[in-house]
Amino acid sequence: MDRERAIIHFNVADFAVAVERVADCTLRERPVIVAPFQAARAVVYDMSEEAFQCGVQKGMSLRQATRLCRGAAVLPPRPDIYQRAMQAFLGQIRDYSPLVEQGAGDGHVFVDVTGTHRLFGPAPDIGWKVRKRARNDLGLNPIWTLSVNKLVAKVASRLVKPVGEYIVAAGEEEDFLAPLPLALLPGLSPVELRRLREFNLIKIGQLAGLSRQQLLVPFGSRSGFLYRASHGIDESVIAAGTMETAPVVFEHVFADDTNDRRQMEGVVADLAARACQELRRRKQVARQVWIRITYADGVHSVRQTTTRLGTSADFTLRNLAQLALQRAWTRRTRVRGCRLVCDRLHRQSPQLLLFPEAAGNEIRQEKASRALERIRDRFGHALIQTGAFQVSH
Amino acid sequence: MFPLHVRSHFSLLRATASPARLCALARKYGYAGLALTDRDNLYGLWPFLSACRQEGLRPVIGAEITEPDSGRLAVCLVENDRGYANLCNLITRRHQKGPFKLEEAIIDIHEGLIVLSRNQSLVAGLLTHGVKVAADLGDRPTETAGRLRKWAAETGIPAVATPDCGLAEEDDVPLYRLLRAIACNTSLSRLSEVETAGGQNWFSPPGTYRERFAIWPEVIPASRTLAESCSFTGPVFGTVMPPWQGRTDTAAALRAAAYLGARGRYGDNLSKPVVDRLEHELHVIESMDFSSYFLVVRDIVLRLQPDGSRRKRRICGRGSGAASLVAYCLQITNVCPIRHNLYFERFLNPGRTDPPDIDIDFSWDEREAVIADVLQEHQGHAAMVCNHIGFKPRMALRETAKVYGLPEGEISRLTRRVPWFSHGSDDLQQRLSELPSLRDQDLSAPWPEIIDLAQRLLGIPRYLSVHPGGVVITPGPICDYVPVETAAKGVPIIQWEKDGTEEAGLVKIDILGNRSLGVIRDCIARITAGGVPFDEVHWHPEDDTLTQNAVSRGITMGCFYIESPAMRLLQKKAGSGDFEQLVLQSSIIRPAANEFVREYVRRLHGGAWQPLHEKVKDVLDETFGLMVYQEDVSKVAVSLAGFSHARADGLRKVLSKKDRELRLRDYKNEFFAGCTDHGVEMQDTEAIWKMMMSFDGYSFCKPHSASYARVSFQAAYLKSHFPAEFMAAVISNKGGYYSTFAYVSETKRLGVTVLPPDVNRSDKSWQGEGRQVLVGLQAVQGLSDRCLDRIIHSRTERSFTSATDFFHRARPAEDEARALIHAGALDSLQEAQNNRAMLLWELAAFHRVQASMKHSSLFDIRLPPPPPLPAPDQRELLRREYEVLGFLCGCHPLSLFKKNNKGLTTARALPDCAGRRVRFIGWLLTGKLVSTKTGEAMEFLTFEDETGMVEATFFPGVYRRYAHLLTSGRPYLLTGLVEEDFGAVTLTVDHIEVLARD
Repeated sequence: MDRERAIIHFNVADFAVAVERVADCTLRERPVIVAPFQAARAVVYDMSEEAFQCGVQKGMSLRQATRLCRGAAVLPPRPDIYQRAMQAFLGQIRDYSPLVEQGAGDGHVFVDVTGTHRLFGPAPDIGWKVRKRARNDLGLNPIWTLSVNKLVAKVASRLVKPVGEYIVAAGEEEDFLAPLPLALLPGLSPVELRRLREFNLIKIGQLAGLSRQQLLVPFGSRSGFLYRASHGIDESVIAAGTMETAPVVFEHVFADDTNDRRQMEGVVADLAARACQELRRRKQVARQVWIRITYADGVHSVRQTTTRLGTSADFTLRNLAQLALQRAWTRRTRVRGCRLVCDRLHRQSPQLLLFPEAAGNEIRQEKASRALERIRDRFGHALIQTGAFQVSH
Repeated sequence: MFPLHVRSHFSLLRATASPARLCALARKYGYAGLALTDRDNLYGLWPFLSACRQEGLRPVIGAEITEPDSGRLAVCLVENDRGYANLCNLITRRHQKGPFKLEEAIIDIHEGLIVLSRNQSLVAGLLTHGVKVAADLGDRPTETAGRLRKWAAETGIPAVATPDCGLAEEDDVPLYRLLRAIACNTSLSRLSEVETAGGQNWFSPPGTYRERFAIWPEVIPASRTLAESCSFTGPVFGTVMPPWQGRTDTAAALRAAAYLGARGRYGDNLSKPVVDRLEHELHVIESMDFSSYFLVVRDIVLRLQPDGSRRKRRICGRGSGAASLVAYCLQITNVCPIRHNLYFERFLNPGRTDPPDIDIDFSWDEREAVIADVLQEHQGHAAMVCNHIGFKPRMALRETAKVYGLPEGEISRLTRRVPWFSHGSDDLQQRLSELPSLRDQDLSAPWPEIIDLAQRLLGIPRYLSVHPGGVVITPGPICDYVPVETAAKGVPIIQWEKDGTEEAGLVKIDILGNRSLGVIRDCIARITAGGVPFDEVHWHPEDDTLTQNAVSRGITMGCFYIESPAMRLLQKKAGSGDFEQLVLQSSIIRPAANEFVREYVRRLHGGAWQPLHEKVKDVLDETFGLMVYQEDVSKVAVSLAGFSHARADGLRKVLSKKDRELRLRDYKNEFFAGCTDHGVEMQDTEAIWKMMMSFDGYSFCKPHSASYARVSFQAAYLKSHFPAEFMAAVISNKGGYYSTFAYVSETKRLGVTVLPPDVNRSDKSWQGEGRQVLVGLQAVQGLSDRCLDRIIHSRTERSFTSATDFFHRARPAEDEARALIHAGALDSLQEAQNNRAMLLWELAAFHRVQASMKHSSLFDIRLPPPPPLPAPDQRELLRREYEVLGFLCGCHPLSLFKKNNKGLTTARALPDCAGRRVRFIGWLLTGKLVSTKTGEAMEFLTFEDETGMVEATFFPGVYRRYAHLLTSGRPYLLTGLVEEDFGAVTLTVDHIEVLARD
């Protein structure tokens, strides 16, 4: 039998708020809402537990949120410092294991500490130590939970949120889950939750009482997952991808949602420029560009364009991105956010062009891009822009 | 310069200005006249002609005709009567299905038309066929215009400058762009992706065109020459009556039919009053040449069967037509005008210049068939009247907000709280910010911009719809009179609204739908099917004591016309179940007559009163000296100010018009002068005039009220004697004043048990019998008609024996099956346990097996045994039942909410609490928003609990405080004062709380 695994789930609840509270300790005493407050149509980016208790939710309009939670401090989101804090936190965790999986900068981290006993002592010790260091060095107070798999660890986190720790001993997963409400189980879709309720199944234990064959009847191909999840079985491994193979992703969230064409095209051009910079830094080229649009009503739309020859050139990538934008942007509802993803990455060929005179235009564009890049490296990204796609900040 | 090519906002979503605004500008700029050339239509003909009259302009009639796909366009101007008929035919042809070739169409019918175009090849082609043409150079000299001018000069045809505009002034450009964005379903910034710029010209003064065309000066006077050859200034048809069977001896035929009918109504020995009145009416009808009209309407009501017999449809003649004895004898109406003293002159008088109209209600579900019959019978000569649907506040806000990209949820949060106030010159922004129900609404950017633009959209026509029942029948082909197009639902419609139709002299017959006629029909059918004999011929519900008692106590929810809270309160206050009083009551309840209602009740109960004036004492005696019916206005004007019947009728009529202000002024002066001449004191005249003004908006004539009151009494009779059958018919026919929820509660209050739907027993519609009502399957939300039909059909073979048998044979979609299960319609198919979760499991199992056996039906479907699922929570069960049905069969949803019963009153006990403050938990059913004298909003709301209904009043202050909390279908804790007025009890609320779920 395989060695029993030990997975710790760290979660800094309301990560953005937690970081802001480190930056300004006076915020600890009051509810906090993170949202771009200068915008008329801003929506909530994150909020503290107190604000959540008042009914504030992510994506809610800021006006409604401030009405629900009148005393709240409203802060503009600062993704840069959240990113820095997250990196610092990850750095501390990586001291204990290389197998670290993080969510999208939201304070969730899974760590596989199987077999580290001789190095760092029993697994719970790592939990205690990381929390202590995070408190002392970063001022963050993460929840930690320990289990044999990610699923149970995550349920335990949801149970103890916003603060605390929980250890589910190996073999006790099923007993631990049985009395808990089904809504705590990660990975269930709203439709599945609704159907389970219709069958009068409220607790995880009740779901676990059904056999695989029985589950197959209403849930078909999902029955395997439901069976395993309800019994606390999760064999997924920690996805600790290395930085260099990960796709290049840049995102822009509009403070005021928009349906203005110039603004949208400007933002996409800007995202493309950033992506190119990152690609060149990695010495890579992308053969596929995705644009993902999030509309103000929560609907997403994703379209891509591909190119046979990979590119990291500003002008080419920007055109690909604009084409993807045209395909993705089909509704007239305002857009809240726009994400650009470059994947199918390859190493940039070091070979020079055989007939440079035939590609005169490209070379000139390439030179201009490099000049832009040097200026941006020195003075910041926003300092210089291409004229047609000026982004208003 | 004569502006020959100008579009108004009737070129739907392509232009911004109304004909009136264009005409006003034309006069301001000093033009002698104006040609209105809307795109493929004459929608705006009558508003345009009336504006030209007002501004003293010479109208030229025309239209732009487009060719689909090619973008070719020609402006057709009407020279004479022949040309007008040809233009109507051309437009009609443009709107017909199938290919339309502009050149061919014009060549076919061009007599009397002058055709302008920028397209040289089109003009050249037309010219060779002898069409009178001119080159349209547009609003400024351009290179193409130069070439065209040169060619025109060589060919010898006139070339003219035209404004070619759809905007009145430069600041209409944003509005135009908004209209285009709405039309193209895009945003302002992306409009250029779907449409090239252009069409943004605005109407300019002649000097501007003169300056622009200084290099080709001859093209300016050329436009005037062209206009002068168009001598046609609008169609003059006179009164166009529908023809009767192509016969000319209509007067004799009508006389014979009327006398035959009279003997049917009154017996063979006709009394002198009947004969006298018949003779009088027949004389008037004949002298005005209206005989064929009566006969055509008679043929619609009494449909000729293939065997030569006539089948009468269930109808209710409404409107002033019910005052005619001839109509009564022809069975077009149901109330005897002699017995009820109805005033024939209200309907027809020799001085009346506009055509009369007889409106007839048919059962709502038979109306379409009736109209189809008429259109079929008079094919090519008949079409329906249209409605020009313009932007109203809600639509304007919604469409503008969509162009600005706001999400649907956010838009409807605002628009559903915007009441249906009619548009006016008032500032929309201000009106919205003053609405108490929008108090918690976020109106930050970009809303101010949206509201600002939406304001400018108000009144601009957007699309055509079909008038609910107006049919026009003409002696000649109808498209010689007016362009005809086909509405979305497939019927032919003329391009004019009711008012334009009337102005043109086309007589319209109104064939309307009435749900209560369906209710009465279904209820009686159910009663007779149950074996109870029912004699409709000798049915006099007005004389039934039980019915009179119910009417006097206001127990008339579900009864036609007398079920609204205001009406029921009035009935309670009046306490009279008399037919005459009900006629009066249903007429006096109108928006502007509140104070007269109170006065009526006081006088009815013996309060002293003085007549308005000695001279009108007799005229208004039967209505306690109050003006109640429309014709009272005419009567008073005749007897007090010496008006002629025709002039008095004109005054009555102008009161119900939208744009009455101007015309009313003349009447007012004449009335005041007449009163002074007849020695009436100034202050009396003023009081009387004020009472007359309470007839603005909608009001009724006595024949109409009497006709309706008869249907009300029939309904009240059925409700009193056959409550289960009646309530089932009310709910099945849908669309009463209240929701199904409210009718279900009323049914229970009548002591009738409501049984949940059952796939083996329920029909599509609700069924009532004895003391039970069985919910119809139509009540289950989300059930398609096709599925319903399958259920009924497969049940006729044999009953369903199990849930699986049901799924197998009725083949409901998954969500339909789930809805049926939650509604309890499959409960009877469960063998042992009463657990709907088990049924859902069976459904899932059925689908699983289906999926795996998709391609094979060789074997029987065999299902694995379901697991023992936990028993349901009772509340959860009811919550789901409520979700799919919208009501609960066994209990009231209030029972799902926690109650602290301490100090609470029930609806039943409320009358005992008069004068006291009480706390009451009620479910909000419906509300009526009204405006106080000072223009503040307040609302009358109807609540109910398990024991009865409560009418609550929210005065402005309280309404302002709580309006944003009020949504129907939710329970509230109300605190307020119980007030009693002539036996009717209301609750004046001062505090409310939303009740939380347990």
